[in-house]
Amino acid sequence: MSLLTVNNLTKTYDGKTAVNNVSFEFEHGKCIALIGPNGAGKTTILRTLAGLLKPSEGTIHISDTSLNDDVRKYIGYLPQYPVFHSWMTGMEFLVYSGQLALLSKKQAKDRAQVLLEKVGIADARNMRIGKYSGGMKQRLGIAQAIIHKPKLLMLDEPVSSLDPIGRREVLTLMEELKDEMSILFSTHILSDADEVSDALLLLHQGNIVESGSMTALRQKYQTSTIALEFESDLPSYQAKVNALPSISGSYLERNVLQVNATDIAIARQELLATAAKENWELVNFTLNRASLEDMFMKVVNS
Amino acid sequence: MQWMTLFNKEMVENWRNKKWIWVPLVIILLAILDPISNYYLPQIIEAVGGLPDGAIINLPEFAPAEVVMMSLSQLSSLGVLVIVLMAMGTIASERKSGVSELILVKPVSYRNYITAKWAALLALVWAALFVGLLASWYYTNILYGDLSFKSFLLIFIFYGLWLTFVISIIIFFNTLVKTPGLVAFLSILTIMAMSIMTQIFGHILEWSPNNLSSYIYEMVIAGEVSSDLVATSVITIVLSLILVFASIFTFKAKELAS
Repeated sequence: MSLLTVNNLTKTYDGKTAVNNVSFEFEHGKCIALIGPNGAGKTTILRTLAGLLKPSEGTIHISDTSLNDDVRKYIGYLPQYPVFHSWMTGMEFLVYSGQLALLSKKQAKDRAQVLLEKVGIADARNMRIGKYSGGMKQRLGIAQAIIHKPKLLMLDEPVSSLDPIGRREVLTLMEELKDEMSILFSTHILSDADEVSDALLLLHQGNIVESGSMTALRQKYQTSTIALEFESDLPSYQAKVNALPSISGSYLERNVLQVNATDIAIARQELLATAAKENWELVNFTLNRASLEDMFMKVVNS
Repeated sequence: MQWMTLFNKEMVENWRNKKWIWVPLVIILLAILDPISNYYLPQIIEAVGGLPDGAIINLPEFAPAEVVMMSLSQLSSLGVLVIVLMAMGTIASERKSGVSELILVKPVSYRNYITAKWAALLALVWAALFVGLLASWYYTNILYGDLSFKSFLLIFIFYGLWLTFVISIIIFFNTLVKTPGLVAFLSILTIMAMSIMTQIFGHILEWSPNNLSSYIYEMVIAGEVSSDLVATSVITIVLSLILVFASIFTFKAKELAS
């Protein structure tokens, strides 16, 4: 049973289509990353799911909710640039959010204490939010989003504004939260998506251009190459390499010979065997796996 | 209860940003400005000089009812302006800054959100009006002559209705546009337009909220509440409530992010 079902979601602003006919499903306990360049429609999708925007067409359904139920009870949302009441303290803001999410004052206080510890800003609980640093605000933002234990947590670019340390901490936190709730987050930093998400949705100009689990996408767009370096006489080695049956082609890139093959495993075996037999003056042998960036470029350009 | 959470937040916010201090002070100042300056006008003119010898200054004597009207007329012009500027961002600036993106993705009922803000503003404005008119009543009594405490209370309640109407207009425009300056402009424009309409079509708009002040004057003179005053009050309350409902409706139909 899927937690979230999005059918043919379309959002247009003043005649411009920001999100075009997007459909996807989302199972309980998954972490999905929305990936795409700036302006691909990631924020629009998240805001629409959070109810801040109304879909121009299409439907959004969250399971276990009836038609009259307020879906906002089951979602937590952190915008890309969260703004708080800067005159409140971190603790006050969390209790306020908790109470708005229909917790009692006591429940909200207890939960706020726990979350302040969890996101690592317990020391600043009684400080005015106006004095918080960017990283602290981001953490407070996550805390307020999960104060009511939502089923679905949506984070808009949760780590892109953070320094490397903050980034690492937030990713670890997301990893922990995965056990308690489903997470949908957007990012344009592909390695972050690689790290925490189970599946990817690639967006380009408002369309989902590719989706699937990380391993499935890897396999599909696997275009590994082998990079070879030799001490000397590259052209003659290139001829020898091209002569091997498993090699489909090669090209020179400065002093490196880049070799393409249909089946990389066989090519590797053949190359290494031949190199050993013929005593090639091999300096470097590298197997390049396609990075997410390569994959992304390939999908977008196709 | 969610409504109380929202209302408390507004009260604490208005306390921390000192609105609970400066709004009453400004209202007191406006309410006593004319009664005091008119009383001391002869001394002021004498001190400043500039009048030829032998010139006779004939200043009118004011009755207590007229003095109260001076206070109300200051409140109706500058006072309303101050209230508009004070309240212009109550919803608009939360939407503009983006705080509402955090607040309104929580299961917050829009009715609670708007009525809590409306009620918190009313509490502030009614309290400020109370101390302002109290100060004016005090100076009227010691400088001009007797005005009963009962009259003071009636003036306070009926004039409070006018300010309730003003707050309702501001709330309505807050839900319509999200630039505080534009909220202020539209609110003042509406109040001015209503005032002009009331003057031009006075014979059919007898019970326009803009007439509250003149009926209050009649009440102080006559010493009794006229049926016109009651009718105008009812109209004012009904219009205020309609504006609040319209605000909730507009807000529901709005997209909260841009």
